[in-house]
Amino acid sequence: MTDSSSSNLIDPSIFEYLKAHGEEELEVGEKLHHITSALNRHISTCQGFLSRIHSTPSSKLPPLLKQVENDGIKPEIDSVGELARFASNYPYYKWSRSIQNVVGTILLTGWLGGLETESRPGELGRLLTIEEVGQLLKVPVNLKDRDAFHITIEEYILALTDITEELSRLAMNSVTMGDIDLTVRISGFIKDLFAGFQLLNLKNDIVRKRVDAVKYHVKKVEDVIYDLSLRNLIPKHEAASS
Amino acid sequence: MPEVIVPQNKTRAMAGGIKRDHQGKEKVADNRATRDMPRNQYTPMFESFRDELDEHHDRRMRIGKVSRDVTALSKKIVRKLNGPLPPRIQADVDERLKEIAGHLTTIESDVTGMNRYRYPLICLEEFVEAISFSHYLQHQKLLTPSQAQGALPAEIALTASDYLFGIFDLTGEMMRFATAVTALSGSMPGTGTKGSDDDRTILNDLQDVSSVLQICPPVGGKPSIYAKKLDIMIEQVLKVERVGYGITVRGNERPKGWMPDMNDSDGPQRDQEDVSMD
Repeated sequence: MTDSSSSNLIDPSIFEYLKAHGEEELEVGEKLHHITSALNRHISTCQGFLSRIHSTPSSKLPPLLKQVENDGIKPEIDSVGELARFASNYPYYKWSRSIQNVVGTILLTGWLGGLETESRPGELGRLLTIEEVGQLLKVPVNLKDRDAFHITIEEYILALTDITEELSRLAMNSVTMGDIDLTVRISGFIKDLFAGFQLLNLKNDIVRKRVDAVKYHVKKVEDVIYDLSLRNLIPKHEAASS
Repeated sequence: MPEVIVPQNKTRAMAGGIKRDHQGKEKVADNRATRDMPRNQYTPMFESFRDELDEHHDRRMRIGKVSRDVTALSKKIVRKLNGPLPPRIQADVDERLKEIAGHLTTIESDVTGMNRYRYPLICLEEFVEAISFSHYLQHQKLLTPSQAQGALPAEIALTASDYLFGIFDLTGEMMRFATAVTALSGSMPGTGTKGSDDDRTILNDLQDVSSVLQICPPVGGKPSIYAKKLDIMIEQVLKVERVGYGITVRGNERPKGWMPDMNDSDGPQRDQEDVSMD
């Protein structure tokens, strides 16, 4: 497009500028798509393994969590690393959903007692902080001073609402599997998180929508606890402390 | 008897007035979250999240407000330019640009670095539309990206998509200008004498701009919005082509001031060009 008719009106630099930016964007977009689709595949695998917690009694939980770690979370970590290395070269893009899911699988595995390290033994009911998740994924969290890939607070909060949903389902299934202690633990944990969510000043966005749903997770667990206490099924020492 | 309540000024984190009950007493209910809530091991974590999110929302509101103001000012510039062009219009435009500078400089620190891409700043499109239209009317040239950046009266980076979407909007203004002037003067506005090398009309310019934008790969924004803007631009060129044809074939049969019917084939498309990006 540098024929004589347009050279008067349109400076050739404009064409070069638009072409260069457009081509870069196409290239980056394709590469990002490639990386995120691999990441999403690993997430699905990981969530698939994790779905077995609903049919696995606590005694058999450690080997399952080991499998989740090796076959689910490790590939996720590698993919996130690749994404972080690539995306940090470019301005702020959004992958919120995938990252939220990764953080969700990590938080759930960690809460159930998985993901133990030498300095941090596995322990049921431990919530990994956003910093610990960042260390595990080997990426920074809540960056403010530079534009690079990082885990945002929103992604972490959204992941929290994912695990309250998953745990409210587990609260019911663990009763079926005869592990009422776990149900009581879940109940206390979800209520604590719910109280925490109340502290946030939320605006009309996805975070509010998801946080609003947490009360249904709380209700689901409360209904289970109600059924149990009505029939005196809650172990005495737990009932006293809750 | 209800006692008389004297309103008291209280410093509050949230603006927006004080909630009162039916007797006019201040409600304290909104303090419940911070006061009565029992603390647990996660409370400090959520408190730090709250502070971070508040900071983010405040920033988004500041940017949003400036963006709306600058959009309105840019539209005012465009409206002024669409009339005839005596010198006082330039003064008016300069005045608005000064106001825009005032608004934009207040958010410079909010939109630096990664925050430049985190928050929508649609007003920059409108700004590019306004100054590129003014530039075209004065020089019959398309504003370059570096000129656009240079004209932006604040230390804010202009992205490729700000520029491109602004130029999309420019074609709409060129269409309106071409139609109005053709109707008023009885010929398509242009430069040079008929038949010479530099004979160019606004129709030729529109066609050139639309060709270049169609040749270039898409830049920025959602692909669907990009495609829509591209379609609208092509439609605008076709409209001016119809005007050009009409004036060539039947030009002399029409009285001056006659307005061609722009909406014969597709009426309600005019406002679609301001497709928002969020």
